[in-house]
Amino acid sequence: MKDSFILAWRALVRGHVLALLLVATALAHAFLPKLIRSDGTAEGWREMFVRAVPGAAYAFIAVTILACACGFFAQERERFRLSLTVVRPVSAFGVACGKWLALCAVAATALAFSGLLTACRLADAPRCLHHYAPRLPSTAVCAREALAAYLADPQTPESVKQAPRSAVLSLLTNKELDRYDVVRPKTAIDWPFDAALAAKGQEVIVRVRFATQFERRAPFEGQLTFGPYSAPVKHSTQSVLDIPLAEGTTNAAPAGAATVDLHFANTSGETVMLRPRRDLEILTPADSFRGNLVRAGLQMFAAIALLAAFGLFLSASVSRPVALFTATVAVLVALMAPSVVAQFPDEMDTKFTERFGLAVSRLICGLTSTVGEASPLSDLATDTCIEWSALVRGLLVNVLALPAAFLAGCAVVVRRKPLANNT
Amino acid sequence: MSVEAGAQAPVIEIRGLRKTFRDFWFRPVAEAVNGIDLTVERGDVFGLLGPNGSGKSTTIKMVLGLLAPTAGSVKLFGLSPRARAARARLGYLPELSYLHPFLTARETVMYYAGLSNLDRKTAKARTAELLEQVGLAENANRPVGGFSKGMARRVAFASALVSHPELLILDEPTSGLDPIGTREVKELIGRLAADGLTILVTSHQLFDMQDVCSRVAILSHGKVVGSGRVADIVAAAADKRHALEDYFVARLGAGQEGAK
Repeated sequence: MKDSFILAWRALVRGHVLALLLVATALAHAFLPKLIRSDGTAEGWREMFVRAVPGAAYAFIAVTILACACGFFAQERERFRLSLTVVRPVSAFGVACGKWLALCAVAATALAFSGLLTACRLADAPRCLHHYAPRLPSTAVCAREALAAYLADPQTPESVKQAPRSAVLSLLTNKELDRYDVVRPKTAIDWPFDAALAAKGQEVIVRVRFATQFERRAPFEGQLTFGPYSAPVKHSTQSVLDIPLAEGTTNAAPAGAATVDLHFANTSGETVMLRPRRDLEILTPADSFRGNLVRAGLQMFAAIALLAAFGLFLSASVSRPVALFTATVAVLVALMAPSVVAQFPDEMDTKFTERFGLAVSRLICGLTSTVGEASPLSDLATDTCIEWSALVRGLLVNVLALPAAFLAGCAVVVRRKPLANNT
Repeated sequence: MSVEAGAQAPVIEIRGLRKTFRDFWFRPVAEAVNGIDLTVERGDVFGLLGPNGSGKSTTIKMVLGLLAPTAGSVKLFGLSPRARAARARLGYLPELSYLHPFLTARETVMYYAGLSNLDRKTAKARTAELLEQVGLAENANRPVGGFSKGMARRVAFASALVSHPELLILDEPTSGLDPIGTREVKELIGRLAADGLTILVTSHQLFDMQDVCSRVAILSHGKVVGSGRVADIVAAAADKRHALEDYFVARLGAGQEGAK
């Protein structure tokens, strides 16, 4: 593995790949900020900067590493160097691991350089924030309960009862995500949150976006209370509001409770509503921007490590042009799959071909979920703390499990097919 | 079979070896090797001779474990060619050098030393010794991408020898070399043979093969059409200087008659 790593590292360094990545990253950090047009606020500029500059560097590094990975084994085989390697007493898995580690090392160096430049530029960025959603039953549980209610209802048409169960559940799950809670004038509503958030002596911010029917902007007012914290709200609907709660002496969280309710009393004459799974969060301060930057860098590294292993597997299996084409198509499909699933939730109304496409898109979403769920740039741009639990899960899957599977596949193919053509 | 048991076995044992190449639909398109039986004993310098398309390279690839036989068997030291223990005792010089152009001569030999599981200290000493032996000590730190064909060939030779192999497989070792380079390679093969190394060599240069080989086999259309000790062939020949060439032409003619 060590010799394969050194060979691949030298190929990347002496082939000017590392230099190209470092220069491109430096150029992105030097010139792209001049093109940024923001809303004029420091937060807006910072958000645009993070998405545009480290984002561009990340994309360039990922594409370059994937392109290099797609060529490694394929080129060695086409130039008959692979046969010289496999006739030695080496493990093909070790050879594949060495190449993958070299690609990862180059990617890590370039990402670290980009991170360093970002940290210097955004030295005064504020702390990031933990985001907590209400502790509601899972969408799957809600969907199953709703389905049971439909089936038990004698007024439900037979055609609906005989529809495929998985399709109905998928539909109900999506509906649950967009379910609105309605708060009529002079009434109140509660949403449960983790009780630990209501402990005394910390900063608590409620991020909320109220709506009205027909999406019109309307003034409203009310009072938010969460354990010992509370604050009045007075604004218009359709805006995302960050409301810092002030600590008082009343409504302390009961000891031993798993959840504490966030209470909203609508004191205005307007009916307001919100989707609790999409429009409501409690924010608490996390660590520094730099800490979050490191975690974002690790998430980006994990995604690139997976791409590198995938590229190596393709390069072991097919020629370089075919590997590049397949990798490009696979990445584009993986990027588009979540949009396909989100845009066509109702699979009962679609044709067979569309249902097939939807099933494939869902499969790809499932396979790439650990990469797809992570949004390092978006989180960094919006000061959302990247949680260690999600980061560790991503690293385990994208840096260990999936690459190990790809590299094992790579080793099998290399052993079986060391020559460009079997003649 | 254990390595100890393999130590008593012939270095290469080929029995009923066949290779049929097939197209995408698995239809046979060429019978490259058609039932070869060969044994290479310890200390032999065995020449595998034949015209283009006779099956020499395919046979070598099967001996190296790079191609799987359609039928028959290949044993190296009594082991499968894909066994790591067999590969550890093997050195291979391909027809073209296929070096990584961005590595220096020293790094190239060190790389193959590493792949052969030599520790760093031994690898360094062995690399220096081999580069001296092939006359590249002064160019050890130059990238091989800038080397002439002859220099690249010498680096490849050093790489093949770095692991102290017991069996050296040379595919057209003098291909593309000038007369001086060819003589150097022949002298090197002679020295290695004198040290007791077993060598399997393919070549079109029959004149050169007569000087270095102890035994030869002539391949034609994937079959062995003649084999024997070079000393016997030379002793039986009228023209001693071209004995192997005459034998080759005669056996090839007989083989083609047989094929008809």
